[in-house]
Amino acid sequence: MVRLLALLLVMLASSAAAQSVVTTDNVRSELVSEVATVKPGEPFWVGLRQTIRPKWHTYWKNPGESGLPTEISWKLSEGAKADPIVWPAPTLFDIGGVTNYGFKDEAMLLVRITPPADLAGPLTLAAEANWLVCEDVCIPEEGKFELVLPSGTAATPAPPVTRTLFEQARRAVPTPSPWPARYGLSRTGDPTLLVEARGLKADTVSAVYFFPAEWGPVATMARQNATVTAEGIRIPLKKGDAKTALPAELAGTLVLTEKTADGSIRQAFDLSARLDPAFAPAATTSLANAVGAEEISLLQALLFAVLGGLILNLMPCVFPVLAMKAAAFARLAGHGQGEMRRDGLAYTAGVLASFAAMAGIVIAIRSAVGEVNWGFQFQSPIFSLLIAYLFFVIGLNLSGVFEVGNRLAGVGQGLASRGGTTGAFFTGVLAVIVATPCTAPFMAAALGFALSQPAPATVAVLLAMGLGLALPYLALSMTPALQRLMPRPGAWMDRLRQFLAFPMYASAVWMIWVLTQQTGADGVLYALGGMILIAFAIWLLRIGSGVSAGTWLRRGVAAAAVLLAFGATLKLDDSPATAASTSGGPAAGVSFDGWERFSRARMAEAVAAGKPVFVDFTAAWCITCLVNERVALETPTTRKAFEQAGVVKLKGDWTSRDAEITGVLKELGRAGVPLYLFWPPGADRPKILPQVLTESLILSELSSIPQAKR
Amino acid sequence: MSKLNVPRRSLLLGSAAIALAPSVAFASSSPDVGKPAPQFTAVDSNGKTWSLADLKGKVVVLEMTNHDCPYVRKHYTSRNMQDQQREAAAKGVVWLTVAASAVGEQGHVTATQANDLTRSRDAAPAAVLLDPQSKVARAYGATVTPHMYIIDAKGTLVYKGGIDSIPSSSASDVPKATQYVRVALDQVLAGKQVTDTSTRAYGCTLKYPKTST
Repeated sequence: MVRLLALLLVMLASSAAAQSVVTTDNVRSELVSEVATVKPGEPFWVGLRQTIRPKWHTYWKNPGESGLPTEISWKLSEGAKADPIVWPAPTLFDIGGVTNYGFKDEAMLLVRITPPADLAGPLTLAAEANWLVCEDVCIPEEGKFELVLPSGTAATPAPPVTRTLFEQARRAVPTPSPWPARYGLSRTGDPTLLVEARGLKADTVSAVYFFPAEWGPVATMARQNATVTAEGIRIPLKKGDAKTALPAELAGTLVLTEKTADGSIRQAFDLSARLDPAFAPAATTSLANAVGAEEISLLQALLFAVLGGLILNLMPCVFPVLAMKAAAFARLAGHGQGEMRRDGLAYTAGVLASFAAMAGIVIAIRSAVGEVNWGFQFQSPIFSLLIAYLFFVIGLNLSGVFEVGNRLAGVGQGLASRGGTTGAFFTGVLAVIVATPCTAPFMAAALGFALSQPAPATVAVLLAMGLGLALPYLALSMTPALQRLMPRPGAWMDRLRQFLAFPMYASAVWMIWVLTQQTGADGVLYALGGMILIAFAIWLLRIGSGVSAGTWLRRGVAAAAVLLAFGATLKLDDSPATAASTSGGPAAGVSFDGWERFSRARMAEAVAAGKPVFVDFTAAWCITCLVNERVALETPTTRKAFEQAGVVKLKGDWTSRDAEITGVLKELGRAGVPLYLFWPPGADRPKILPQVLTESLILSELSSIPQAKR
Repeated sequence: MSKLNVPRRSLLLGSAAIALAPSVAFASSSPDVGKPAPQFTAVDSNGKTWSLADLKGKVVVLEMTNHDCPYVRKHYTSRNMQDQQREAAAKGVVWLTVAASAVGEQGHVTATQANDLTRSRDAAPAAVLLDPQSKVARAYGATVTPHMYIIDAKGTLVYKGGIDSIPSSSASDVPKATQYVRVALDQVLAGKQVTDTSTRAYGCTLKYPKTST
C-alpha cells in the first residue's frame, strides 16, 4: 500500500504518466528507485525487480547451457549514465539434465544511475527490458518501463518499504571473495580452481559450486566435486567448448553453504582466479577420474579395493605390523603345513573382521548423521596417543624388554603378539587399525564409492580392501613352494626380531608427530611422559618374582603409572585440533586491527564504566564471521560510527578452542561462532545480534545509543 | 614426514566431499569437434530409415528442433532456416531436421504433424528425423533448440553450436547476425578449416524425456 502511494506521489510529481510495472504471463517486473528525489551528479541505485511465477525461472548473466540473461537497454535524460547490471548470486537448475543458472521466485537486478551534474528538472529513466522465463517451456518476454524522478538540491530516500527491497537485494549480491584464488591446468587441459581459504573445516562447508561468469572457458554441464582441504577449496572443473585459450583471469561466483551452530547459511563470493602456470593439478588418476566422470561399477570398485588393499602392505604405517608378521612367520617356518595355513587364515579373518566392523561403524554413523569421513578415528588425538603407546609397547616387546606370558593382559598388543591362532587374528586387527591413516589418496575413488553406496556395497568394497591387505600372507601360508624360500629358523630370528623393534619405534615417533599436529607442543610432553610411565610399569613388573608383599606393591605402583599414562589422554581432550590450528599459521588468523582482545574482565570493566561495548566472537575458519566483518563490521561507515559512538570493540578469537570464550558461548546457549553481543551504555544485559549482520543493522543499533543516554 | 600426513587429511575431507557433492547428472557430454561424429540411426517422417554411416562422403547438417520454441520460430518466421536448408540442398549437403522433443513434451511431433509443419513453413530439409526419445539429441549433447551440428564427408564433427551470433528471440536480429552455420558450411565445402568450430548455442532448453537424466 505504502509503495503504491509512493508510486502515485512520484507519478503526480512528474507530469508524464510513467509506467514502472509490467505484468506479463509469467513475471511481474517493476522498476524501482532507491531515491525519491535525485541530486544532480550524485549516483543512485535503481532495480528491476522480477517476481517470477512459482516454478519458473529467469536467467543469470551466464545462463548456463540454455537460456538467456535478462537485458536492459536504457534511454536516459541527456548526460545521464547507467552502469551494467549488478546480479544477485545465481541458483543452479537442472532441467532434464541441462544445467541452467538463474533465479526463481524473486530477483532484483541492481543498476547504478549517475544523473548529469547539470540536471535541471526531472530525470527520466526509460528502459526496455527483455528476459527469457522458463519452466519446462521457455517464453521470451519484454517490457517498457519509465520512471520520472524529480531533482532537488539533496537526494531524498524512497519510502522504507522500497529501501528494504534494496537492502535485501544487496544482501543477495555476492561479496568480493575474502580469499585469493588461482587456477591451474592439468595435463588434459582441464582447469582446477583453488580458492585459498585456509583453515576451513570440511564438515561445516557444503554445496560448494563455482558459477563461471561467462559461457566458454568452463563446461557448465560438468558436475563439480569440490573438496575442502587445509589449503582451501579445490574445485576441479572441465574445460569448456570455446576454442579460445583459457583466460588469464577466470571470473565467477563461488557459492557455498556453511553450517553454523544456529543453522545453515548460504554465502556467495565473486572471485577472479588468475592462471597460475606453476599450479599443475595432478591429472586425476584413472581411479579418481572414474568416480568423478562416470559412475564406476561395483565390480570395478571391488577390483580397485583389492588392489588398494594390496598396496596398503607397502605403506609406511603398516610396515611395523609387517615386521611383526614377518617375525611370526620366521618363528613358524619349519612348523607344519597345517599350522602355517591356520595362521594365514586367522590373520585374514582378523583383517576381514576389522574391516567389517569398520563398515558397520561407517554405516551406523551414516544412518545417524547422514555423512561420514574416512579415518575419522585419526582426527582424535586420544586415538593417536593410544596408538603411539601401542607401537612403543610392541617395540619394547620386540627389543626383548619383556616377554609376553607375563601378566600383561588387557593390552591389545598382548593379544597380537601371543603365539598361535588368536595372535594371528589380532595381528590382522592391528594391521587394519594402523592401516587406516594410510588409505592413500589413490584409494579415494574406491573409498568415496564405498561411503556413498548402499550398505551392502559399502561392506563389499571394504571387505575387498581387507582381502587385498591380507592377500600376501594368505598366499604365502597356503603355498608350500613359497614357504620353501624362507630361511631355516635359527639364531638370526632373534636378531631379526630385535631389529624389527626399530621400525616400531619409528612409527611411535610418527604417531607422536601426528599428535603434535592435532594438539600442539604439549602433546609431546604427555605422550613421552606417558611412555616413560609405561616403560617404568613394565620394569616394575619384571623385577623379581614370587608372591610377596613387594610384588603387590610393585604391581600397585605399575598400575598407577599406567593409569597416569592413560590419564594423559584426558588432558588432550581439552584441546582438540581444528584445521586452523594444524595448518593455519598467522596468515589464517583473526585480525585484531582496531579491536581489543576479549576477556570477561575487560568486558565487565567497560560495561561498568557505562561505555557501549560490542563483542565479536569469531574464528579463522568461520566463513560467516568473515563475511560479516567485511560487509558490516569493517566498512568505513561502520568503523566511523563505532568511533563516534565511543564503542569499546572486543574480539574473541575461537579459532583454537578457548575455555573462557567457550564458557561465554555456553552461558548464552550457543554452540559456536559467530556470536555478536552489544551492550548499550548502562545496560544490565547484552543484546544478542543476529548471525548475519548488515551495515544498516549495526548502524541502527549504534543510533540507539544517544536515546539510551537521554 | 609432513608429506605422510597431508594426503591423509585431504583424503578424509575429499571423500566426504565426494559423498556430499550435489549430483548434477548429465552423463553424456557433448562430443568434441574434430572427432568422429556420434553414430545414429533414426526414422524420418516418411518412414525412411537414416543412418549416419550411410551418409559417408556427404556433408551433413543436424538441426535439433522444437517448432514451438520461440527461438526456433524466430528462424522460421524470418525464413532464415528455410533459406539455409535450400542453399545447403543446392550444394549437395544433407540437411536433417531432428524433432528432438520427447513424447509428451513441447515440440514433440508425429510423422503427419512433421510433414504438415514442413509444408506450412515451406521448409526444405532432406528429411525430418523423429527422435521421440531424444536419443540423437543426447548422443550429440544438444542442450537447446535450435542446436546445430555439421559433419564433414569423412564423418568428422566440424561444427557445433548456435545457428547465428545474436542470442535473441527477435527476428529482426537475423540480418545483423553472423550466420555461423552458413559460414562454416561454406568453409567445409571449400575444403578449408572452420574458423568458429564451437559457438554458444542459444534457445529453449531441449525437452528431454522426464524420467531419464
